[in-house]
Amino acid sequence: MNVKKERSAIVVSGLLIGVIAVGLVVLGNPANMGFCIACFLRDISGAVGLHQAAAVQYIRPEIPGLVLGSLAMALVKKEFSPRGGSAPISRFVLGFFVMIGCLMFLGCPFRMILRLAGGDGNALFGFAGFAVGILAGVFFLNKGYSLKRTYKQPAAEGGVLPAIMAVLLALLVFVPGLLHFTEAGGGPGALRAAVWVSLAAGLVVGALAQRTRLCMVGGIRDLVLFREPKLILGFAAIFLAALVANLCLGKFAPGFAEQPVAHTDGLWNALGMFLAGYGCVLLGGCPLRQLVLSGEGNADSAAAVLGLLVGAAFSHNFGLASSAAGPTDAGRVAVVIGIAVVSVIACANTFGKKQ
Amino acid sequence: MTCIATFYSHFGAIRFKKTCEGMGWPARLMPVPRNLSSSCGTCVRYEGECPAVIPEEVEQIAVLEGEGYRPLYRAENS
Repeated sequence: MNVKKERSAIVVSGLLIGVIAVGLVVLGNPANMGFCIACFLRDISGAVGLHQAAAVQYIRPEIPGLVLGSLAMALVKKEFSPRGGSAPISRFVLGFFVMIGCLMFLGCPFRMILRLAGGDGNALFGFAGFAVGILAGVFFLNKGYSLKRTYKQPAAEGGVLPAIMAVLLALLVFVPGLLHFTEAGGGPGALRAAVWVSLAAGLVVGALAQRTRLCMVGGIRDLVLFREPKLILGFAAIFLAALVANLCLGKFAPGFAEQPVAHTDGLWNALGMFLAGYGCVLLGGCPLRQLVLSGEGNADSAAAVLGLLVGAAFSHNFGLASSAAGPTDAGRVAVVIGIAVVSVIACANTFGKKQ
Repeated sequence: MTCIATFYSHFGAIRFKKTCEGMGWPARLMPVPRNLSSSCGTCVRYEGECPAVIPEEVEQIAVLEGEGYRPLYRAENS
């Protein structure tokens, strides 16, 4: 596939993904939340009892769908490649704090695009912070940052996270009594498309993201590093398709106040996404990309996904997550700590090793 | 011949590019081509050959042949 074909493929995929995201909202997901990796992992964390925030508990089938869709595509294309051993605990910690940042903003980079496409002006602050966070990460990349090489692993190691996802899906379908569910009218966790619709959407988007390497962080990173717009075209295509779909369906509501599952504190929207962008560059990709790489057998990305999941639980157990009322004091402190911890990891893996 | 080298880190690519230029091989940094790998890291495209001594940061080196690639080197256990 030459560069021109790669660009075409990612634009077409982005357009399709944007439409699917708005379609999920039409079919029951929360507004501007057709997809949100952070929110959906947070809901899963609650569904299995890792936190007790009753408003956000549900096994979102989109997440297992993304991982299994990526796995299926990787198997078909003979790209399933179990590997790992590149600083898994550091990746877990980075994933943990990326989630703290996302839940300060109330969305992952994917939802940030969908919020922009829905007219949510608060996401502009998030986008600005996200871009600056990526630049901070790129600074360390250029100075020598590395979490060291990966090594080939047994197939079973690469299959662990996809297997966990399959089990979560099986619990939802066959033994839902074991899980926690947000009651009807009880919050965003109660707003959901039908299981099979969500699963199908996840499978399709996971497969497309595996083929195109779609990554919300990689788009800005590659533009800065190489002046290569390929990945950011996917980003732009999702925005464009979701914007047009929202306009056609009367779901575009420009403004700042009373946006769905959002708050209006610009500074902390920006700082939350700064932390997310910064951490994601050091991880090598956004939360969506971590799920997709896990589906390809990357155990290091699986460690990052588990960090995201545990970060979500901590966010709700310790009152770190924002709400429509705004950020909490504990959340502000956690974001500052997160920026410090991510900086320590960046410095230790840039300057604290033999060159 | 036109070669593509992929790496375990972005900085490894920066250093390899300088090595290539030191040997008089024109080189540039770019994203890894999709048909070479599903990884989204940094590669070096250069006009030269497989170096006699390959830095440990190099994951693989392939030579461009038409629309495809012929592998020249792959790091052990990668």
